[in-house]
Amino acid sequence: MSSSLQTNEDPAVKAILIEDLDLRPGDLSLFNGLRLSINAGEKVALTAPSGFGKSTLLRSLLGFVPPAAGSITIFGTQLTSRSAWQLRCRMAYVDQEPDLGEDTVEAAIRRPFRFKNNQHLHLDSDRMAALMEQLQLPLSLLTKQILSLSGGERQRVAIIGALLLERDILLLDEPTSALDQDNGSAVAKLLKENAETTVLAISHDEVLVKTCHRVINVKQHCRRLA
Amino acid sequence: MNIVDISYFNLAFAYLLLAAPLAIMLWLRVPMISDTLVAIVRMTVQLLFVGFYLQVIFDLDNLLLTGLWLLVMLVVADLSIVRGCGLRLRRVALGVFVSLLVGTLVPLLFFVLFIFQDSAALGARYLIPISGMILGNCLRADIIGIQTFYDSLRQQEKSYILSLSQGATLREALLPFVRKAFQAALAPTVAAMATIGLVALPGMMTGVILGGGDPMTAIKYQIAIMIAIFAGTALTVILAIRLTTIGNIGAEGLLTKDIFIADRKTH
Repeated sequence: MSSSLQTNEDPAVKAILIEDLDLRPGDLSLFNGLRLSINAGEKVALTAPSGFGKSTLLRSLLGFVPPAAGSITIFGTQLTSRSAWQLRCRMAYVDQEPDLGEDTVEAAIRRPFRFKNNQHLHLDSDRMAALMEQLQLPLSLLTKQILSLSGGERQRVAIIGALLLERDILLLDEPTSALDQDNGSAVAKLLKENAETTVLAISHDEVLVKTCHRVINVKQHCRRLA
Repeated sequence: MNIVDISYFNLAFAYLLLAAPLAIMLWLRVPMISDTLVAIVRMTVQLLFVGFYLQVIFDLDNLLLTGLWLLVMLVVADLSIVRGCGLRLRRVALGVFVSLLVGTLVPLLFFVLFIFQDSAALGARYLIPISGMILGNCLRADIIGIQTFYDSLRQQEKSYILSLSQGATLREALLPFVRKAFQAALAPTVAAMATIGLVALPGMMTGVILGGGDPMTAIKYQIAIMIAIFAGTALTVILAIRLTTIGNIGAEGLLTKDIFIADRKTH
């Protein structure tokens, strides 16, 4: 991993440690003392029916939904509204229906590399080409406008963008929902190849779920109160 | 002044022209006849009131009184922008007010101190019309700019969240939205500058000509006011966006949803 924030961490330090978590976004109350610990390099699939807070949980790991109770710790650093800005530099997030802006594919992939916090990173063009090939996207797609892409193409471009950032943790929200079986398998294979990367993926895709070390059903940790 | 006055009786003929658009509205059953009639009555009453008031201000020609009138114009513009953008008054009114103040005063002072270089320019007869023209354009630009900024931020929240999750600072994540809003707000002024004189004779130039000035004097006034308007709109839009985000973006980087009035809120 290339994050500048990475230090000589104790291997015993959990990549993600969630303790007694309760989230209350808007009028909802989600989870009931959720406890979850994920080791570095571990691949974990989150499952549950729609509306049980899986996506909210991923957003809370990015610091967008503050815990109403309990805590979230990322590589030993407690997540707060202040620390979230630095901790985001250790994570990459792929939304189920990614909005990559209104530019070309290449511009969307290059954009985060211009951010001040990512100045130590360099876009590896060869890796970008290799990833596109692995996910069956032609290089000519780079010059296309994001808005002209299909849902599946957008999803794959978002995954490539996340992988190129070489973060320690990948947070994926249904990353293969718009993909056919072949492309879904290609994504699962890619994730498996990145052995050092911790993956927390919401998915109902059997192939992707089978790739993961563990499957957690969020429903068992969740309460929904309107 | 050798301008020809219009009697109130003759002015009444102008209202006859309204028969055509109102008839078209009736024919097309456009549901805006009552709004149009209210707008016409408001326009008439407001302008008559302003006319009488300005007459007093021009006669007294007192800088403090002129300043107070400018303050009233700023407050009305502020309220109009906030209402027009569907935002909560207490959340953005101060930021918009400051942006209007700077966007109007900076070009106005530049106009008075460097372009006119005449003490007469400090008189109400110059200050009020010039600041009115600048402020009117600032108001229009602010409504477009602020509305574009907050609407696109709300509609493209996923794109914004993606930027933040990719490690963007707040400024970096907001930049595409600021750029889009700034461009949308300034585009009408740029288009107006590009076609001025060809498509329409602008207000200030017309005023100077009607007031008895020669066309070249009128054109010099118009060039100066167009530049002042452009500078003012650019200043006010960038400031309005920047100042209204203060206190409305949480520590985690997300927009506070209660900035929008309830009926515009999306879930």
